[in-house]
Amino acid sequence: MEINVKIKPNMRIQAFYLFFIIVSMQIGVGILGVPRLVFSEAKQDSWISILVAAAYVIIVLLAMLLILKQYDNADIHGIHRDIFGKWLGKIFSTVYILYFAIAFYSVLLTYIEVVKVFVFPDVSNFVMGLLLISLTIYGVLGGLRVIIGVSFVFGVLANWILFLLIHPALQIDFNHYLPLFQAPFVDLLKGARATSYTFMGFEILFLVYPFIQNKNKVRISSLLAVTWSSLLVLSATMLAIGFFSAEQLERREWAVLVLFKTQSFPFVERFDYIVVAELMMVVVPSLLFLMWGLTYSMKRVYKVKQKLTLYVAAIIFLIGTFFFEKHFETQRVINFAEQFGFWFIYVYPFVLLPLVLLKKRLKKRKGAGSS
Amino acid sequence: MRKRMKRSSKNVFPLKIDELEQLMKSEFDKSPDLSFSKYEHQNKKIAVFFIPYQVQPDRVENLLLTPLLESKEEWSNTAILNKIPLNSGKEYQQMDEILPGLIAGKVMIYIEDEAAVVSYDFLNKEKRSLEGAETESVVIGPKIAFTESLVTNLNVIRWNIRTPDLAIEEITIGKRAPREVRLIYLKSLANDTDVDTMRQRLNELDVDNVEDSNVLMQYIEDDSASIFPQFHTTELPDRTSYAILKGKIAVLMENSPSALIAPSTFFSFFESTEDLYMRWNSGSPLRFIRFMSMFISVVLTPMYVAAVTFHYEIIPTQLLISIGQSRAGVPFPPVFEALFLELMIELLREAGARLPTKVGQTIGIVGGVVVGTAAVQAGITSNILIIFITISALASFTAPSYQMGTSIRLLRFPMIVLAGILGLIGIMFGLCMLIIHLLKMTSLGRPYLSPIYPIRFEDLNKALYRLPQNFQYKRFISLSLKDSIRFSKRNAKEKKDIDE
Repeated sequence: MEINVKIKPNMRIQAFYLFFIIVSMQIGVGILGVPRLVFSEAKQDSWISILVAAAYVIIVLLAMLLILKQYDNADIHGIHRDIFGKWLGKIFSTVYILYFAIAFYSVLLTYIEVVKVFVFPDVSNFVMGLLLISLTIYGVLGGLRVIIGVSFVFGVLANWILFLLIHPALQIDFNHYLPLFQAPFVDLLKGARATSYTFMGFEILFLVYPFIQNKNKVRISSLLAVTWSSLLVLSATMLAIGFFSAEQLERREWAVLVLFKTQSFPFVERFDYIVVAELMMVVVPSLLFLMWGLTYSMKRVYKVKQKLTLYVAAIIFLIGTFFFEKHFETQRVINFAEQFGFWFIYVYPFVLLPLVLLKKRLKKRKGAGSS
Repeated sequence: MRKRMKRSSKNVFPLKIDELEQLMKSEFDKSPDLSFSKYEHQNKKIAVFFIPYQVQPDRVENLLLTPLLESKEEWSNTAILNKIPLNSGKEYQQMDEILPGLIAGKVMIYIEDEAAVVSYDFLNKEKRSLEGAETESVVIGPKIAFTESLVTNLNVIRWNIRTPDLAIEEITIGKRAPREVRLIYLKSLANDTDVDTMRQRLNELDVDNVEDSNVLMQYIEDDSASIFPQFHTTELPDRTSYAILKGKIAVLMENSPSALIAPSTFFSFFESTEDLYMRWNSGSPLRFIRFMSMFISVVLTPMYVAAVTFHYEIIPTQLLISIGQSRAGVPFPPVFEALFLELMIELLREAGARLPTKVGQTIGIVGGVVVGTAAVQAGITSNILIIFITISALASFTAPSYQMGTSIRLLRFPMIVLAGILGLIGIMFGLCMLIIHLLKMTSLGRPYLSPIYPIRFEDLNKALYRLPQNFQYKRFISLSLKDSIRFSKRNAKEKKDIDE
């Protein structure tokens, strides 16, 4: 396995799309439930928590970019190979692959759960799983260009649902935000920790970085993406806190979805149904990228054909949907994904960064000594 | 067969006139159409042979036979070619050149003991005259349509694009029954890779015959499994030359009244030349209406089915009451009701397309008005659904390309079934599948959904809407043409201050 990836010229993508890649990975079903999670820790000071979390995400992102900059055109698997050697590197990469699998599974189950709660209480997991997984297979078979296209087109198309939030936004009670600065520092951090599942997804940068043509635009594009998703999460949380009273909010698992119920037109009511359907457009790009990450990583690390991984993983996930029918089971998967992702996405780059810098310095010294 | 081919590729000349007659008779043994006449002139035997209905008899008489027989001098091949200076004079030596030549309306002259046959082209091809477009009718702008004659069509195109820059390449397609195909593009504009791809696809086509350019399209398109057409076929010369001038490639085929335009994008199928002739601020909304109606046509009936079957909560109470009253007597689930009505509309359309125009109109009235009213009164369908079905059928007919309109109309059926099974989730699944499919498609190797993905902001003003002409100083960037500037931006109007 080479450390640096050679990309065919027709597979290169513009950094412009990185914005949509990262936003579509970050904004998924997580945003629907995040207000309650943050609120139960930080109460009306949730906005501080989210700002703290966003700042932390940006720091992690900058660290990731710094790591990637040390190489010509490497992805995370190449870096693992370079830093940890053949076998240890493979183990770390395998953990990454496992992360993609678990994240895929948690997104899949969460969307099925939302559909069950809001639209079809009796729909079987298998049918919904079949729909989503067949979309995933069909999309991933198109390759990275198509997946990025999906994230871009769906990312633009799904934005109309934001306009439906204008109506609830006009009915906010500003007293819900007061008094300011009440939460102790620990609670604020706990609140920030609660957003970790929602903000996950920017780690895809570690994989798509070699594909990007204009590397000088990567930083601005990814920073804008993270800022935009942070803004969305922040406004969703603020809306939910302003609209619902404290005990209402704590009892509503998907508070943001409930907000859509208030909007109505002479010909359509109950927009939550439509929004849940529209959410498929938000969820599918995440699923596609996670599945692509899984198959591409398998190809990079173990030289398995992507098609083989795709079909096998799809069948396993489809069978897997049978075993997590209940709410608490789904919740367990999400919690596990969150735990796993937290250490892997938010902490691990800071372990990798000094190692990469050290290795580079050693190499430089060696090069200087030999010449 | 193989034996005969071998023999005819051999040079049989020189030979006696009687031997030639025997040979020709044996070649044409199953079709007694060959006219083989022998003359004696200045002690030399001359044979003239041709297929009478493939040539223009009076021209043959006046231009060829009269000078041939009335002359006093002795004829030889060179003498004939010199004395009868029609530009199509040629010498042939091989049988497999002579036989297709006879079929293509050539008159052959053989002088005994010469080494070759002299031929002149007198092709008489029956054709209809240029008429107005039938399937792609336009309100303003040129109205003539292509005919079945390639020469006429080329004439029209040449007259539209009067520049030597226009390349018209000749390619022959089909093994058993060959047809001429022309590849037309602007040398200084069209992308070389695209032209090469197209030429290669046409040259490598290994089929025994191709019926029409619509069939040709199916042979050479990128993804034959897709429901969407990947090349545009049009019967408007106007539209074809517009596409050529934009840097695209056109393919014309003998005996086919439609041209093929490549590469095409999804959005170009909703583009009518009328948009250009209208002013930009009335052309853009018209195009927008077409996009809207495409969406409506795919989604409206499925939405109704989904709402009435599963999610009646999304219908406001006032509306729900009227829908409920209208549906009260209907014994079928909404899916069947919708499928039944959609099928009826398709029947009407199909019957209307097959029948003569006058009868077709009657059928439309009988089918639409009488059966529709009767179906509602009999309690089989609801009024409101009929309204939705009619709107979506109308919407599907707004697509300027008939092929695209048909694809969209057919897409409704799986969407209705999906809506009937899984409601809004099913519709969304269908839409997602559709968009992913469109993203995967290519036309001549170029993305089908361009310029949306990959996004080219400069192209949006031509593909999705139109701006005034002085904003359109660039050609489509996504086509990567040799010259993408239409005119200098400086020539566009300068800004002025208020006039005092």
